[in-house]
Amino acid sequence: MIDQTVTTRTVVSPPLGLLLHLKLTLFRNRLRQLTDQTPLQLLLIILFVGTIWGGLYLIFDHVFIFMGRFQEQAVIAIPYVFHIFFAAMTLLLAFSTAILAYGALFSREEPAFLLAAPNPPRNVVGIMYLESLFFASWSLVLLGMPLMLAIGHVQGLPWHFYPIFILAFLGFVPIPGAIGLLGALCVALFAPRRPKRIAFIVGGALLAFLIIWWGRLWDASAMHLSKDWISHFLEELRYVKAALLPSSWVARIIQLSIEDQPAGALFYLGVTFSTSVFVSWWATMITARWLIPAFGRAHSAPNRSKRYSGWASRCLTQFAFFYLPADMRALILKDVRSFLRDPMQWSQLVILFGLLSLYLIYLPRSRPEGFTVEWKALICFLNYGAVTLILSTFTSRFVFPMISIEGRQIWLVGLWPLSRARVIIAKFLYALTLTAVAAMSVTVLSIRALNLPLVLAIAQGCATFASCIGLCGLAIGLGARLPNFREDDVGRIASGVGGTVNLIASVCLVALGVGLFGGICLSLVRSGNLHEITLTSLSLFIALICLSLSTAVVSMTSGLRAFRTQQF
Amino acid sequence: MAIVIDNLTKSYGALRAVDDVSLHVKPGEVFAFLGPNGAGKTTTIKTITGLLTPDCGTITVCGHPMATESQAAKAKLAYVPDQPFLYGKLTAREFMGFVARMYSIDPATAARRAETYMEALAVSPFADQLAEGYSHGMKQRVVLAAALLHEPQVLVVDEPMIGLDPRTVRSVKELFGNLADEGRTVFMSTHTLDVAEAIADRIGIIHHGRIISCGTLAELRAKARQEYRLEDIFLELTSSEEPPEADTVALAG
Repeated sequence: MIDQTVTTRTVVSPPLGLLLHLKLTLFRNRLRQLTDQTPLQLLLIILFVGTIWGGLYLIFDHVFIFMGRFQEQAVIAIPYVFHIFFAAMTLLLAFSTAILAYGALFSREEPAFLLAAPNPPRNVVGIMYLESLFFASWSLVLLGMPLMLAIGHVQGLPWHFYPIFILAFLGFVPIPGAIGLLGALCVALFAPRRPKRIAFIVGGALLAFLIIWWGRLWDASAMHLSKDWISHFLEELRYVKAALLPSSWVARIIQLSIEDQPAGALFYLGVTFSTSVFVSWWATMITARWLIPAFGRAHSAPNRSKRYSGWASRCLTQFAFFYLPADMRALILKDVRSFLRDPMQWSQLVILFGLLSLYLIYLPRSRPEGFTVEWKALICFLNYGAVTLILSTFTSRFVFPMISIEGRQIWLVGLWPLSRARVIIAKFLYALTLTAVAAMSVTVLSIRALNLPLVLAIAQGCATFASCIGLCGLAIGLGARLPNFREDDVGRIASGVGGTVNLIASVCLVALGVGLFGGICLSLVRSGNLHEITLTSLSLFIALICLSLSTAVVSMTSGLRAFRTQQF
Repeated sequence: MAIVIDNLTKSYGALRAVDDVSLHVKPGEVFAFLGPNGAGKTTTIKTITGLLTPDCGTITVCGHPMATESQAAKAKLAYVPDQPFLYGKLTAREFMGFVARMYSIDPATAARRAETYMEALAVSPFADQLAEGYSHGMKQRVVLAAALLHEPQVLVVDEPMIGLDPRTVRSVKELFGNLADEGRTVFMSTHTLDVAEAIADRIGIIHHGRIISCGTLAELRAKARQEYRLEDIFLELTSSEEPPEADTVALAG
């Protein structure tokens, strides 16, 4: 017989608290799994976040101490720091909440499950909105907390500054978050098949705007870092202090708390919180009203996918890997096509190296009379550090998972008449070519921008290329040694145990490389002549090359040995 | 009527996925919904469950129009999609507990039913493991058990037999038969024609978004005027590029 407990009574919608309880249970289970199964990974995550957080705190602390030396200027400059920081956070939070909310509401299977049950759409939107806000606000926690703690420490602020800034953060986050939620809804309604393209266009437009604005600011005065230039700089920034911007309210809360005016701070806190509640409610209701149509469009819009002929990728692979046999080239061609057709991969390289290139193009203008020997060596050293750090993030995120991803296609790759050693070597050569082209282009720009003498130019070029070999060899080798064949998501593979080990090993390699390159630069500067090789610099250079090459050889050999006997 | 679909139309841009479909499914009936890939089965199912809004037409579940009383309609149905959804970081038992609370079932009843369905679908041996380690078949069984927890009057299932071993297929077939005997409705989309032939009371065939044939297996055979197997009827009806008119279906021998 039919149980009448559900069928005859009035329908009671499950409360939002139930979904919140579900999310907390998921979080608890995840945490329990981490502590039980991979405590080392958890420890490393905490250690890394703590290091970054502590490092930022120290930097901000020193910046505020430095600014404090110029009392008159500090009075003007410090409020600007807060206004700029929260204005930038508004953009970042809106953008990241939009991406997260789109993923949570329109990409995953979870909303379909929840909406097929008698859950009101407002509850489904509400929980996804809260989840997106939680993850998006990590940037504010990571950057904002050390900033606030540093100003609190340097200025010796009273205890009530700390709860006020935390409340200010809590009130602020939902305002850009609500904009992001509505942005995600608009994408689902009007461009459901192109969310990544939309995100890329908006992000690119934002970046282009910032670059053009920065370029205008930079060109505004011939005497950079002069008083005129600083006045002009602050004049250009007046928009971020507009009274109607929520970022200005939060900046005012912080400023008034620093000036020990709690009444004023509480007034702006009230304005921020009331706006936050209102816009969140409004955005949630609008999204809930349009959720089903938007969900339907996102999941069922006709696929007007572009057709690919693939001739460009084929020509590119033929040209770049002409020296390889056809079977290895075929494997590389597959990876080249995957790379070119996945904006997540190439956009990271383009954005990071693009920004670095832009800085290098503007670098000579900052000192038209040219750099001294010391400055040349220092900037060259910093450029090498920046390039290798970017390389390490790229190889950890995209090169390491390359072997794991093949696990899904091992029925194909595993049955090819291609030995596993050749698979590994093909992957390595592909990754090396890609990273070397990007890194060496920026390095050549750096050498030209600084007009480096031949000795230092050769040292920087060779060190960068050796780092490419070391980092790619490490990522491919560890990728084969510690693969994760259960996941098909590159991000999840990169954030797993193997990915974390690779990230740490890469950072250590970069740190050692940067240390050795720093030694080369220092040795050349101490000799007073960047044109002549010293014994110390030569020894350090050989050590750096040997370190990179041996890292690549050891990890590739170890990875190959494991991959040969790997069961799928 | 358990499910009433009247003049349902749903388009995606220029593509008409479902074109003026009307269907009435009675309580206590196992209805098999067949059609080639892209015929409009999943779109129809998603519209019945309220996940898609129709461009035209109405859907009523147990007397509750989905457009205006969606909460009441959803309380009386359960949906098992073709790709079973589970939270990877929940165990099957925790998932069942969450579903029970979602449908406001009291804990004692929920625990009793959960044990019954987990036993029937052989979920118990892995009920306390995290779902992220389950195979497709295990997930399918858990989702099916969870869907039955609030004892829905209408069970909508999309490809229920994919990934299940023969023993579980037998259990699921028996389960669907028992549900129908209790007066509940099973609306099942499937490509497994043997299953449809074995347990369905009525069969509807959709092609290019239109219902081209609907009736009992005997009625479909009578239309064909020969002792066809369902597979032959299905292949014959869906062989054309353009859908034949529903009223003039010719099942030539």
